[in-house]
Amino acid sequence: MSETPQASADRLAEAVRPLRRVGLEQLMALIDRTSAVIYMRDVEGRYMLVNRQYERLFGVTRDSILGLTDHDLFPPEIADEFRANDLAAIATGTPVRLEEIAPGDDGPHTYITVKFSLTDADGEAYAIAGISTDITERKRAEDEVLRLNAELERRVRERTAELEASTQELDAFAYSVSHDLRAPLRSLEGFSQILLEDHAGQLDEDGQGYLRRIRANATRMAQLIDDLLDLSRATRADLRRVRADVTQIAEEEIAELQQASPDRKADISIAPGLVVDGDPNLIRIVVQNLLTNAWKFTGRAEHPRITVDEPEPGVLRFADNGAGFDMRYQDKLFDPFQRLHTSSEFEGTGIGLAIVHRIMRRHGGRVWAHGEPGQGATFWVSFADGVRSGDGR
Amino acid sequence: MRPEPILLVEDNADDIMFTIRAFRKNQVPNEIIVASDGVQALSMLLPEDGEPALSPILVLLDVKLPLVDGLEVLRRLRADPRTRTMPVVVMTTSNEERDIVESYRLGANSFVRKPVGFAEFEDAAKTLSQYWLRLNEPAPSWRGGG
Repeated sequence: MSETPQASADRLAEAVRPLRRVGLEQLMALIDRTSAVIYMRDVEGRYMLVNRQYERLFGVTRDSILGLTDHDLFPPEIADEFRANDLAAIATGTPVRLEEIAPGDDGPHTYITVKFSLTDADGEAYAIAGISTDITERKRAEDEVLRLNAELERRVRERTAELEASTQELDAFAYSVSHDLRAPLRSLEGFSQILLEDHAGQLDEDGQGYLRRIRANATRMAQLIDDLLDLSRATRADLRRVRADVTQIAEEEIAELQQASPDRKADISIAPGLVVDGDPNLIRIVVQNLLTNAWKFTGRAEHPRITVDEPEPGVLRFADNGAGFDMRYQDKLFDPFQRLHTSSEFEGTGIGLAIVHRIMRRHGGRVWAHGEPGQGATFWVSFADGVRSGDGR
Repeated sequence: MRPEPILLVEDNADDIMFTIRAFRKNQVPNEIIVASDGVQALSMLLPEDGEPALSPILVLLDVKLPLVDGLEVLRRLRADPRTRTMPVVVMTTSNEERDIVESYRLGANSFVRKPVGFAEFEDAAKTLSQYWLRLNEPAPSWRGGG
């Protein structure tokens, strides 16, 4: 629907009427009450007008400033810059927007300035007007953010360097352990064996028994050292996040366990398509430890059953119906060298779950367990980035 | 003909004794010459001043050695045309991945971790002697007999 010509004219008159009432006084009030700095200079740079904010900031009055130039008010290099900006605005003929710095009571202040030329009827520039907004506070806040960021980066660099140094130290320590700690054990073991082989006649049954115990302990200590090194390796190894096929790893590990004890029968169920984002070598160690445990602790079960599945997205479950454990001791489960069964019941050094725990933590995930004596154990591992299912195999 | 010697590069006196004992027990007839540090090993295998070089049928090389370590010995052996194809088995206490990787990178023929159990140690010596002294055909450019 279109307006009648009369309605259109009335609407225009209504819109213009307030403007007609605005005089010089109102316009001056307007420019005097803004927090921006407003000024007008002729093409020679002589002041024609400044607003109150200008007077306040630079300690001048608009009467005293008339006819002066920036070179009368500011240090030469600042005045030169203002003048150059004025000339640029005149030359382009369109408003220019730029950052200017002017002295203030508490040091230099930064302004965002818009400058534009005023032209006469012939299109000739006769003055430059400028509106400058003080952005010093924002600038200082930005500088503070930059400074804090730099500080943060410096701290991260320091912490990284510290971590790298301690990893290197751990690395050197583990290297030395693996080289130097096993050699004396070999001597203990070797000489005990030589005594048994060459000098058995001079030792009675008890003496020979003690020697065998020395040997067994040397061998056990060697195993403990190896386990400790495995744990330290799980900490030191580079973590490479790619796609790890848990289903395939689990099937391979079960096949290996089955091969090692072909007489064992167990009902194994591994869900298809279990895939996680993680380091395949470390994930294999996790799967290997959990399945080896399940295999070991179902050794006396009547109908051994082991299942691997994904009960909810991002979580893998390893369940068995073996010896289980008492939940009262669950906080000890993941501590290195803590065992909830005696060596005569089930062999082991108690390092496997500690390694699993460490590897999961390095992946930003976690491991937890539920068990009941004689009823089996269930272990869950969750990955921070989730288990990707579907595109599995 | 007298069989070519085996060079054992090892600084641990107990390990030297165990190794010799294990080889003897397995009726290895070869003489076992011992170098107890890397410098000694290099001066035997790569002598200067025209001295005759030792040409063992097999070198058993420990990694952690005084003065010049085993991996450096290996590097120098492989850098010299006289010993480039000499059979070298790195035999050490650790199974640190970096030792294994570095040994093969430098041209070791094999890497064996010394077992702590003496029975396993003897088994390893037996297998090594059977393989390297009887079964293995060395490179034509390498003829022992020094």
